[in-house]
Amino acid sequence: MALNATDRLELSGVSLTLGDQPVLQDLTLATGRGEVLVVLGPSGCGKTSLLRLMAGLVEPGSGTVALNDAPPVPGHGIAMMFQSYRLLPWKTVAANVAFALPDLPRAQREDRVSEVLHLVGLERFADRYPAALSGGMRQRVALARALAPRPDFLLMDEPFAALDAQARELMQAELLRLVGASGGPGVVFVTHSVDEALVLGDRIILLSPRPGRIITDMAVPFARRPDPHDHPDYPALRRTLWERLRQAVLTDPASDFYRPG
Amino acid sequence: MASQSAHLADRKGTGPVATAALRLGFLALILLAWALAARHAPPGLFASPVAVAKAGIGLASSGKLWPALAASLQVYLVGTGLAVMFGGALGIAMGIWPALGRTLDIYVNALAATPRVAFIPLIIVLLGLGLEAKVLIVFLGAVMPIVLNAHAGVQAADPDLLEMAASTGASRGRILWHVILPGAVPFLITGIRIGSTIGLINTIVAELYTAISGLGGLLAVYGSRFQMAEYLAVVIVLALIGVGMTEALRLVSQRLMRWRDV
Ligand SMILES: Nc1ncnc2c1ncn2[C@@H]1O[C@H](COP(=O)(O)OP(=O)(O)OP(=O)(O)O)[C@@H](O)[C@H]1O
Ligand SMILES: [Mg+2]
Repeated sequence: MALNATDRLELSGVSLTLGDQPVLQDLTLATGRGEVLVVLGPSGCGKTSLLRLMAGLVEPGSGTVALNDAPPVPGHGIAMMFQSYRLLPWKTVAANVAFALPDLPRAQREDRVSEVLHLVGLERFADRYPAALSGGMRQRVALARALAPRPDFLLMDEPFAALDAQARELMQAELLRLVGASGGPGVVFVTHSVDEALVLGDRIILLSPRPGRIITDMAVPFARRPDPHDHPDYPALRRTLWERLRQAVLTDPASDFYRPG
Repeated sequence: MASQSAHLADRKGTGPVATAALRLGFLALILLAWALAARHAPPGLFASPVAVAKAGIGLASSGKLWPALAASLQVYLVGTGLAVMFGGALGIAMGIWPALGRTLDIYVNALAATPRVAFIPLIIVLLGLGLEAKVLIVFLGAVMPIVLNAHAGVQAADPDLLEMAASTGASRGRILWHVILPGAVPFLITGIRIGSTIGLINTIVAELYTAISGLGGLLAVYGSRFQMAEYLAVVIVLALIGVGMTEALRLVSQRLMRWRDV
């Protein structure tokens, strides 16, 4: 995927300490609109913290985070999506989506809400409350809410991990369709799953156990192909990533699976 | 929709008609027990349901009941209403500014644990025996549970939803109005329910301890003359006020929490 020169999200020399825990260490990376960057890493390595940094919700201890050369400001050009849907249970589907559009005049806001609900196929459910929806539908509402303000970047924190296998595959396809469209946002997608990384990513970075450092940064040769699983390189790449992830976990003294020696 | 009403009936166990029938049946049982007790009690200590009903009609038609009811309702509703506004605002402020919450928490709890009757002489010295004193006595009784519950409701705000809201760039006011307050509604309703119960008790206390007036005044008069039928009729009017308040709060909370029953 060609990177659009106008929208760039860049980290240089970023470290983060929470309490007295070093969480991320010396991260340098850049992504642009149009790319799906997958962040893969063991539990607790700092993936969520990385997204919070990118969203401007926390500031790095050292180094810089920049969206188009300025520090990111929450809600400006960046949207987040979470594993738990985080819908406001007291608001209808339409009002939940509208929550991400505080600054639009009413008429424009309503137009944009129906537009994105149409995009995720939920316009019939606009007046329902989240309690009446299935997990997959709730996550589509969350996706619509994230897309509504037309973000330059969409930061997704294991968004499909709570879905059943079928819903997960359908959502993966839906995500690729939406971000593949022209004008789609750049995506930073956090996952635990090597398969999800290979199916979605244009590029994959692998983080070490805490404090997270980038130990692998690779392009996916079969990105955006219709059936990535069938590609001849898929098994070898999967094995490589999985082996590195496994090694990282087994050699991490903080891990449940640590084996000394 | 059929599936939805089935699901609602499941959750509540019985439909509204069955509930009403059961309640009426229970009322009949109480009246029966009451009538039997009245027949066997020494005369002058108790009155039968029929005597109480007659006394109640007498009070209403003679015009004694209505001014007393109006006076009591005024004290009760003004005192409780002020407690809802002030207590709600203070509790919410304590939740939004943790430093304020930590500072005031111990005092609010201390005051909540002190029997408010202890303040009555002081209040009389400050405000006299009139309406202001009575309203303050009701207010002091009702306000503490409202403050404590509003505070707890704000503190219980879901951190995941707060982070989501922050990630959309929502302002503090927007987060308060759309995320924190709707989440605190069950707590606020609970606080108001407890507060209004104490408020009703304190209405009677105030009417007995300051210038005698209202329904509390009627209780004092009929109690001292052993007019048990009239006395019990006033007690029933008080119970009806309590029931009315509880039902009104139930309707309000149902309306605010529609999103739960979808
Ligand atoms: N406020 C905090 N104070 C101290 N340590 C924290 C704080 N928040 C998070 N951490 C620690 O920082 C590390 C990284 O957390 P983070 O949630 O970013 O990891 P993650 O890779 O997203 O984990 P998971 O795979 O479980 O989602 C964790 O080990 C966590 O215990
Ligand atoms: Mg995480």
